Amino acid sequence: MRLVATAIGGAICGALCFGIWPEMWKTYGILGGWITAAIVISICWYMNHWLGIVWNQPGRIWVDQGWAVSSAGIAWAMVRFNSQFRHAVPVILCCLLGGALAGIAAAQVKKRHPGFQPARPPAAQKEDARG
Amino acid sequence: MVEWAVRYIDWLGMSPVSVLTTVFGAFCVTFVVIICWSRLVDDFGAIGGMMAAGIIVGTFWVMNHKLPGFGIHPEGIPHPDGGWKQFGLIYQGFRGASPWVDMGTAIGAGLWVCGLCGIPQGQKLRMAAESVPRLAAAIAGGAVGGAIMGLVGWTGANLFGYR
Repeated sequence: MRLVATAIGGAICGALCFGIWPEMWKTYGILGGWITAAIVISICWYMNHWLGIVWNQPGRIWVDQGWAVSSAGIAWAMVRFNSQFRHAVPVILCCLLGGALAGIAAAQVKKRHPGFQPARPPAAQKEDARG
Repeated sequence: MVEWAVRYIDWLGMSPVSVLTTVFGAFCVTFVVIICWSRLVDDFGAIGGMMAAGIIVGTFWVMNHKLPGFGIHPEGIPHPDGGWKQFGLIYQGFRGASPWVDMGTAIGAGLWVCGLCGIPQGQKLRMAAESVPRLAAAIAGGAVGGAIMGLVGWTGANLFGYR
């Protein structure tokens, strides 16, 4: 059932993005696109990730609603503009490469940066400050 | 050098410089989302997450996906060289004829890889396999939603003489 909920959350997020985003950007330009992110992505994030419609649990690999937006963009353009999937493949690969590199880099940051270590009790921090 | 970087490669549908901008744009947005979003949620709760939607995704949408010729000129501004030029970092392949590739691809991939890196050695393969059905459900759901949204171009309603 959680998988069905995941699919429904993804469908709503994808449809919202590509129903609203192009119209807002054609009408209001850059500011329209920015506002659409604030409206659409915020409520979709609240539903999918804060309330947990997309199935994620601590200690497991995170599945983001970005996957749903991605597939929705491709399906939307293929249905609406008759574009061919094979034309999107090089850009998809570039996006996956850039995203994977950023994932590796961010994992290193989270592993090494002192700001991302689990919080220590205040007494221990005071000890550090005294030297 | 410049001629080599900007030449259009037919089978790839983009030039080498577009490959560079696409990878860079995907890297930037994914890194910021992974680092900042969870911390904003820690600091501000649900409000922090909704704030992050605007200030991270909105800002990087401008960087990655804006197209000139829309907005205040919805009919499009022709470029002197012909066609409409794209200034977003994530290039839409085959001079814009490809299906829309969103930066969500990069964010999803980055969060997946980051999660994989955080899993202890020895459990990686099992956890990766565990995530596949959830991933497939999210992708399939998005495809259905996007395809249904695309159908509005085919409903054939001519309102107010619109063609």
